[in-house]
Amino acid sequence: MFDWLANPNRFNRITNKVQPFFALVSIVTIIFGLYFGLFDSPKDYQQGHAVRIMYVHVPSAWLASGLYLSLAISCVFYIAWKHPLADLISRSIAPIGALFSLLTLITGSLWGKPMWGTWWVWDARLTSMLILFFFYAGYILLSNAFERKIDGSKSAAVLAIIGVINLPIIKFSVDWWHTLHQPSSILKLDGPSINEQMLLPLILMIIGFSFLSSYLIILNVKTKLIEKKCEALILKSNLNEISKLG
Amino acid sequence: MNVTNSSWTVLFISHIKRDVLVNTRSLIDVISVFGFMLLIIILFPIGIGPTKEKLDIVSNAVLWISLIIAIIPSLEKMLQKDFDSGWLDQIATSPAPLEIILLAKSISHWLIVIIPLILASPLFAILLDLEFNQIPWIILSMTIGGLSISLIGIIGAALVLGARRGNVLLPVLIIPLIIPILIFGVGINEAVKIGSSPLAHLFLLIAFSLIYLVISPFVSALLIRIAISR
Repeated sequence: MFDWLANPNRFNRITNKVQPFFALVSIVTIIFGLYFGLFDSPKDYQQGHAVRIMYVHVPSAWLASGLYLSLAISCVFYIAWKHPLADLISRSIAPIGALFSLLTLITGSLWGKPMWGTWWVWDARLTSMLILFFFYAGYILLSNAFERKIDGSKSAAVLAIIGVINLPIIKFSVDWWHTLHQPSSILKLDGPSINEQMLLPLILMIIGFSFLSSYLIILNVKTKLIEKKCEALILKSNLNEISKLG
Repeated sequence: MNVTNSSWTVLFISHIKRDVLVNTRSLIDVISVFGFMLLIIILFPIGIGPTKEKLDIVSNAVLWISLIIAIIPSLEKMLQKDFDSGWLDQIATSPAPLEIILLAKSISHWLIVIIPLILASPLFAILLDLEFNQIPWIILSMTIGGLSISLIGIIGAALVLGARRGNVLLPVLIIPLIIPILIFGVGINEAVKIGSSPLAHLFLLIAFSLIYLVISPFVSALLIRIAISR
């Protein structure tokens, strides 16, 4: 089944059909989510208008961690079945995941300034997110660290898989470290007792961000496929020239 | 070819002997790591100021951070020389199990680089004004934590084999993995300092090291086979 999906041409054909749909869904849900989130939802009785940062912050945090998992899954496919497309997909996921974790950190610190009075607090969640960002950065750096790009793929894939085994341990140890060093955090962003009017834009934004990231990843993979084709063409024309000379 | 369990032990011990011999012929690596750690420890009081109260708050963390930073440059050398000389290629293609040899390599790195630092830790403890009753716990925690740093380090060294600027890349890949060791290691010594039981942290540190004792040889062997096939 995976072999069937691993064909680049088939990938292009399928994604050509779904890509406009993804773009449409993400635009519509993000517009509605932003409208409901920024204008048509109550402000928090403690946090005031600053709570509206949550509508960007929480979806990015979800996607940053979710995309790391999908990066690791696609790396498993690359290591186990050596599908070149899986490598292209993991290379495409990594920068977008890194972007979302960076967005989480930036919105988190923007929210922290009015709430905590500082841009940065060594909160357990922020610290784990920062470490997740370093895992993304490590993957991107290692996968591009070799003379021929393809040489870094397997090592970087192993790194991503080690990372996904380690992240729960690191998350646990950071929580552990945090409870030992500081009193429990001032408030939780995602409590179970969230207002329904806040839940609707949040869900819309999560859907919108998910479709947006899928759209971007597909775009990224397609670009990389075209890049590969160009490289092959250049190689071919070079060979032709050489054979003419010979 | 028949490779029995007893010959694996012989292989393991002979490789530890080989690595120890190669490294003790020129002690420069060991001495430079020790000197590096000493200098990092000296830098902290100079940066913080000479008052005892300030140093008291950070001393345990300083000890652990300087241990980690001092070890990191030595990690790359674990495999680089053997990779460049082609020794690793030969081992990987020989019937001897690569996993056992890599486990021996990380154990010998622990013996050569980290144990001397641990032996010197009473000196560092004096420099950082630590209490004497803390020293046994420092030695114990660093022995276990140092082993897991070696085990993670060999994964990192195998990851960057043949990479451009591998020596810069290695810390970026390794330090996020080392964070739990720092947390648990400092936790042990802080608990001893305030007089509570350090066992919770100690057991977590042991658990973490055991996980890496199991996965590190296999992961690094996989990575070396990848590096050789390039």
